Amino acid sequence: MATVELKGVRKSYGTTRVIHGIDLEIADGELVVIVGPSGCGKSTLLRMVAGLEAITEGTIAIDGAVVNQREPKDRDIAMVFQNYALYPHMSVYDNMAYGLRNRGMAKDEIDRRVRAAAQTLELAALLDRKPRQLSGGQRQRVAMGRAIVREPKAFLFDEPLSNLDAKLRVQMRVEIKKLQRQLGVTSLYVTHDQVEAMTMADRLVVMNAGVAEQIGTPMELYARPASVFVAGFIGSPSMNFLPGRLAGGVVGLAGGTSIPVNGAAPSAAGEVTVGIRPEHVEPGAPGAPLKLKVELIERLGSESLIYGRLEGGGELTARIDGEREIATGATLALGVTTRHLHLFDRASGKRLN
Amino acid sequence: MRKVIFKGTALPLLLIAPQIAVTMIFFYWPALQAVWQSFLIQDAFGTTTQFVWFENYQYLFKDPSYYNSMAVTAVFSTAVAVLSLGLALLLAVMADKQIKGAGTYKVLLMWPYAVAPAVAGVLWLFMFQPSLGVLAQVLRNLGLDWNPLLDGTHAMVLVVLAASWKQISYNFLFFLAGLQSIPKSLIEAAAIDGAGPRRRFWTVVFPLLSPTAFFLLVVNIVYVFFDTFGIVDAVTHGGPAKATETMVYKVFQDGRLGGDLGGSAAQSVILMAIVIGLTAIQFKYIERRVHY
Repeated sequence: MATVELKGVRKSYGTTRVIHGIDLEIADGELVVIVGPSGCGKSTLLRMVAGLEAITEGTIAIDGAVVNQREPKDRDIAMVFQNYALYPHMSVYDNMAYGLRNRGMAKDEIDRRVRAAAQTLELAALLDRKPRQLSGGQRQRVAMGRAIVREPKAFLFDEPLSNLDAKLRVQMRVEIKKLQRQLGVTSLYVTHDQVEAMTMADRLVVMNAGVAEQIGTPMELYARPASVFVAGFIGSPSMNFLPGRLAGGVVGLAGGTSIPVNGAAPSAAGEVTVGIRPEHVEPGAPGAPLKLKVELIERLGSESLIYGRLEGGGELTARIDGEREIATGATLALGVTTRHLHLFDRASGKRLN
Repeated sequence: MRKVIFKGTALPLLLIAPQIAVTMIFFYWPALQAVWQSFLIQDAFGTTTQFVWFENYQYLFKDPSYYNSMAVTAVFSTAVAVLSLGLALLLAVMADKQIKGAGTYKVLLMWPYAVAPAVAGVLWLFMFQPSLGVLAQVLRNLGLDWNPLLDGTHAMVLVVLAASWKQISYNFLFFLAGLQSIPKSLIEAAAIDGAGPRRRFWTVVFPLLSPTAFFLLVVNIVYVFFDTFGIVDAVTHGGPAKATETMVYKVFQDGRLGGDLGGSAAQSVILMAIVIGLTAIQFKYIERRVHY
């Protein structure tokens, strides 16, 4: 158990910079998820913590000690790989025992730890099998087992669920989170899946092109995304973005609609991007400012997703109660509550309100 | 894998016919000829032929020079297999590391394989020729009385070197491909699991390479038994005093030069049986310990 601290961490390959200075502090026992599109540098960052990639600039400290120059084996971390990286020629037992044997642990202590981990992960009956005789979910658990027997200072997860099918992924997500809580081990978890990120994280780091766009709890990021990128990345279906013009505390949309906003400085003015989450529009509210021509309806049962075009131009997705009757081609009047309106500077993409 | 079920038997037979034909004409037919020949004795002028059952074999097993060729082959094949596999593995492990000029390095390592055995033999012969050879001079200057033309051990060392040198490229290629097919994350996982480079190699990399190593062992044994004829012929002619006369070279020596076709055929049959036997043993006992 330990803290992990990243200070001004940068990474370049030759002259190409891939990570532009990340600052992050992970508290003892905390599960921090790094989420972002592929190629944003999230895996590289994790591998730098693991010691598999050199750190170009900045420092990484585990439990207060800077580990920049330490070999992976001397950092006391355990990593779960995307493809599990199980040793194919070793049994499940040997896979889990390998790291302990390398550290010269006594045989009976190894046996005790491996059997305890197997018990926790329901692998007790599979200890003699080879990895190829296991299902995807079982392999995943062996990979977890290999990490937990070590009782390391920190767990590192590199997209551990992306090779599983959708149903198993949801199940394993819950299991990993439970296990992490139970063991209380500081964890850094990398994924490209925003649902996985939201559900698992104590805190989230949204990365984009080598920069941490925002760091915060899932709800903070959902309620107050710091940039257009975060706003679009967090939440499903994604937030709608409409071009607008801010002046005197009122934002004017295309087609002459104007909506009052709060939170933005009264003096602020200029070209903005207005963000509205699909779940934050209310159909049929009195004086509803948005007129949506319905083009497609997806009925999910409890709710319906409405895809359409606004009268003034621009596309919009709305998420409404599934029991409401709506016909394709109809025009729907939609209201937006002021507190659910997100305003971003058009040029910089930064949040204004 | 998808299976196609044919209705009749005509088409499948037709489809495998070329393969069967090639095997029949170029393997079974000559092999049977050799077996038949080994039961015959011809006089020196080829005018009379007598069927003698196992007389050729009986004669062979009474001949001390045949046991000598067996011993020579055993030493030769073990030395070549160990040397060429070991060095190739070492070179492949080096080449697998991300180093500058790795491409050039690999191409250069490939070249010996493109050299014909006889040419390779001549090349080594020149380098180690006692009075002319560049490397022979070096050895002499080091105080070693190097003379493969007179000293049987020196001659053996020379053919072993030449034969291994030629086979290393081939082994290297397969080892390199084998190394590159091992997922990098496995090595990384082992590094995090606290294994140093040496331990990673013996506990993770080498076991995963074992199918490749096993395949190469079979190929190399067949190589030393048959394909090294050209090297032996070019470098030592089996000499001095039969010190490098391998079994395959003796087949040639007795049959082609000695005119003893029956005896030579009997030797080929025995050689064939030995190689088939060795391969079978390898598959039965070593393959079990190989991790696929």
